[in-house]
Amino acid sequence: MNLEQQIKQAMQQVAELSDCQLIEPITVDTLLLESGLDSLGYAMLVAQLEEDLGYDPFSELAIETYPSTFAEFLSVYQRCASKQ
Amino acid sequence: MPNLLQQLTSLTHTGKIHSLSKTVALSELLFKAKQIRQQNPELKQQKVLIVDENIFDFISALVAFDGWCQSIYIASQNLTQPKVDNLIQWQQKPPQSAVSQLVIDDNEQIDTSWFLATSGTTGEPKWYAHSFAALASSVKQSRNLTKVNWALMYQPTRFAGLQVLLQSLLSGANLIDVHGKPALQQISLMQRHQVNAISATPSLWRQLSMTQQLDNLTLKYITLGGEIADQGILDHLSNLFPNAQIKHIYASTEAGVGFVVTDKKAGFPVAWLASSDNETPKLKVSSQQHLMIKPKHLIGDNLKSLTDPQGYVDTFDKVAVTDERVMFLGRASGVINVGGNNVYPEKIEQVLLQSAEVDQARVYGQASPLVGALVVAEVVLQPNSEPQLAKTRLLSNCKAQLARYERPSKIRIVASLKQDASGKLNRKNHD
Repeated sequence: MNLEQQIKQAMQQVAELSDCQLIEPITVDTLLLESGLDSLGYAMLVAQLEEDLGYDPFSELAIETYPSTFAEFLSVYQRCASKQ
Repeated sequence: MPNLLQQLTSLTHTGKIHSLSKTVALSELLFKAKQIRQQNPELKQQKVLIVDENIFDFISALVAFDGWCQSIYIASQNLTQPKVDNLIQWQQKPPQSAVSQLVIDDNEQIDTSWFLATSGTTGEPKWYAHSFAALASSVKQSRNLTKVNWALMYQPTRFAGLQVLLQSLLSGANLIDVHGKPALQQISLMQRHQVNAISATPSLWRQLSMTQQLDNLTLKYITLGGEIADQGILDHLSNLFPNAQIKHIYASTEAGVGFVVTDKKAGFPVAWLASSDNETPKLKVSSQQHLMIKPKHLIGDNLKSLTDPQGYVDTFDKVAVTDERVMFLGRASGVINVGGNNVYPEKIEQVLLQSAEVDQARVYGQASPLVGALVVAEVVLQPNSEPQLAKTRLLSNCKAQLARYERPSKIRIVASLKQDASGKLNRKNHD
């Protein structure tokens, strides 16, 4: 499973736990705020991914602006993965 | 009020103290206490620090110094010592000579202050003075109580440990020191000495229960204190010991008072909020849902800022009032703030503990760059549970009962949970 699939799977799990309804489909251009997850959902997603992947880019990298699209979110994780 | 030595000397029956390696009659320790006074006259009216090294020397020092020294500071070995001028650390020395007759000058009665440390939230211990009369005020004495074998599960230097120690010594019962030992060793020592009374925190009770040997004991007196007693542990203990007296104790360090609940139900009856009964302290719930207590004793200056115009002291314990019960939710200060919502770890732990697969649970806040903090749970599962299935079931139970922000974002399956020196779950943030 590649990183993109892993993130999408974690989004499903978190949506389930936090009573969020994800939009279908999630594409690279999907705005995070419109994906169906709210801030609590994203906080849970980051925590879930830290558990699955072993790192949390938002704590490890000095990210000045939070990603707004799914593509940006994915790229933050890809950057962090390459540094592991 | 007579001092500890006078009270113990006047008993018609005194018990024995057992540790892992030896047994000593209390009468021997009383003799030793008199020797200490006779051989260390320079300590009279001084401030003395007693460090708990072994239970026998600890008891003889307490007996020697109460009513004889100005103050005694009681510390465990790993505690930072108090910064007090002219404090003398007591060191047990071998007796200088065998003395058969000891004459103790007991005419000058001193009201000794007993200083105990509380763990505090920041790590630096705080020292609070108590009188022997106050510490011994809840001690019960009767002919039946002389037949009790108490297990000492708490450190004897802690408030709860001293309560067990004084109860057993002053009622003529036996005391079995098991504190700090691994649970299996505790159970085997308790069995060897036929322990029938245990006072412990709910976490320590769960640990004992995990040995699967707790029901080898015949318990008559069961006390829970120091943490919220949830219905799960109360039910578990009353199923194991249907004939035992089970009580859970609520104590407020802030207000310096407490009360006892004996109906085997979590929380306490709502009727107590309006009670005019003189036996229990007067109670009410503040607009912030804090339990407020009106102590019978005079309120000291240090409590004035926590006291409302009617004389009720804020306990900083959050409660929820249901139709019948007032339920404890946890410390007002121990809450996890998830994106501006307060989460009470104890409440989440109680939901997790409803599952028969869960032996122990601990919930704490983990820093989150997005919402301040998230709820994280650690659970110890029953030996035969399937971790992945258990996790799924726990999450679905949490979903059914908890608000979104209250649900653990992670449930970690662990082999054991850390407890701090007082036996309470260590719930410090992992951020």
